[in-house]
Amino acid sequence: MIIKDFKVNKSCVNEQLILSDEKFPLDMDKRDFIKKVLKGAIAGSLFLVFPMDTTGGGNFDKNSTLKDGISTFDPTIKLPEEIPEIRDRQYDIYKQNFAFIVDITRCIGCGSCCVADKREYNVPDGNYRTWVERYIKDFDDQVYVDCPNGGLDGYQKPRTDIPLNARDTFFVPKLCNMCKEAPCVQVCPVGATFISPDGFILMDSDRCVGCAYCIQACPYSARFLNPITKTAEKCTWCYHRVRKGLLPACVEVCPTGARKFGSLNDENSEVYKILKGPGVLTVLKQSMGTLPALYYMGQRLEVV
Amino acid sequence: MSKHALRIAFVVASVVLMAGVGFVLKAQLIPKSFGLYGPYRADAIDEEAQRVLKHGTNASCFGCHQYEATIHLKGNHKTISCEFCHGTYSDHIKNGKKIANLPVKKGTEITTLCLRCHNTEIKARSTMVIKTVGIQDHLKKQNVKLTHTCNQCHHVHAPLKYINEAKKITGLMEVKP
Repeated sequence: MIIKDFKVNKSCVNEQLILSDEKFPLDMDKRDFIKKVLKGAIAGSLFLVFPMDTTGGGNFDKNSTLKDGISTFDPTIKLPEEIPEIRDRQYDIYKQNFAFIVDITRCIGCGSCCVADKREYNVPDGNYRTWVERYIKDFDDQVYVDCPNGGLDGYQKPRTDIPLNARDTFFVPKLCNMCKEAPCVQVCPVGATFISPDGFILMDSDRCVGCAYCIQACPYSARFLNPITKTAEKCTWCYHRVRKGLLPACVEVCPTGARKFGSLNDENSEVYKILKGPGVLTVLKQSMGTLPALYYMGQRLEVV
Repeated sequence: MSKHALRIAFVVASVVLMAGVGFVLKAQLIPKSFGLYGPYRADAIDEEAQRVLKHGTNASCFGCHQYEATIHLKGNHKTISCEFCHGTYSDHIKNGKKIANLPVKKGTEITTLCLRCHNTEIKARSTMVIKTVGIQDHLKKQNVKLTHTCNQCHHVHAPLKYINEAKKITGLMEVKP
């Protein structure tokens, strides 16, 4: 019995020895691993040094080119200029002044703007760059707000889950307010979002690390984290369209003219006339001091 | 050279080397256009400006679809975007050539689409802006089957086209008060 036990123990020791012999190549693997990591780090830093050409890679539409700040167009695309004095001339980024006006009294809640926005940017389901809220106010001053699927499917049915003594109902389209004192820009730790000199708050998705700080900072909930790219996204007032002299997609498709966009440098534009005129214009959450460039007409006090 | 001087030379050399490496790394790791307008990459503005257009304008559709344009621009629906009902320009045209046909709405799809705007049950719609109907009431009032779709009476591009024509033919054209 004892001898047998001894043998067993011995074989165990041998096995352990063999195992430790086999561990030696593992150590070699570690070295290889470290070498590979170092090589990878060097290669990666080289990629940083020589960044891949993002403009010539066919990522952008070949029909529209932007060289030296002048946007030119392929004449086969028949797109008339909707914002004057932008196309085919030097874009002076410091001298631009745009405004967006939403006329609540004209909004019928059709959701065209939401559909156009989703199509223009291929916005993932469940996220909205712009959306339309439905407000119902009853005679007890109780306010009911809903927004099924961001207004993408329109409002086909009236609300049945609330008392029927509604006194005022209206739709409120929401989008980025393009604040002059933007909280989202202040909090971004990597400079991925910024106020461009022409007043647009844009995202640099190459630099965004997806920390979602800006999403929490935005008082208007205009931002979201794209579940595919894991970077923050927001309404840009269709900056790419504006720079080509076109209206934003939501303004383009609005059937009632509830959304108005234009340059304040152009004295014939509708927004210039409205802003210069005597009508009452309000902004959302004025007390927060964000100074939005998005104005509302016919806004009720209850809207936040 | 004394040992002391050698040490000082070594320290100075290593500081210079580290500073050099630091400057090189800084120059190469910070994007070229960073700081042109502010603490961000200025090229991001141009990149955003070059995003692919998906929507055109109504005029871009009417460039080819001239027959539809003559109807659409005369009717009450002239402010409606072609692309909202039919789909985006970029799904149809690429580099000046047709790449696909856009779907045309049919049957009850059309009714659903019409009622997105014209449903009177949604009270928030101002009568100053849009004419609304309760679809069932409207069908009953017009003495048609309750299964009728909107486009059986209304031309979708110019809703009163057929109705006005019929009234002209039958002499029932209403005199507006």
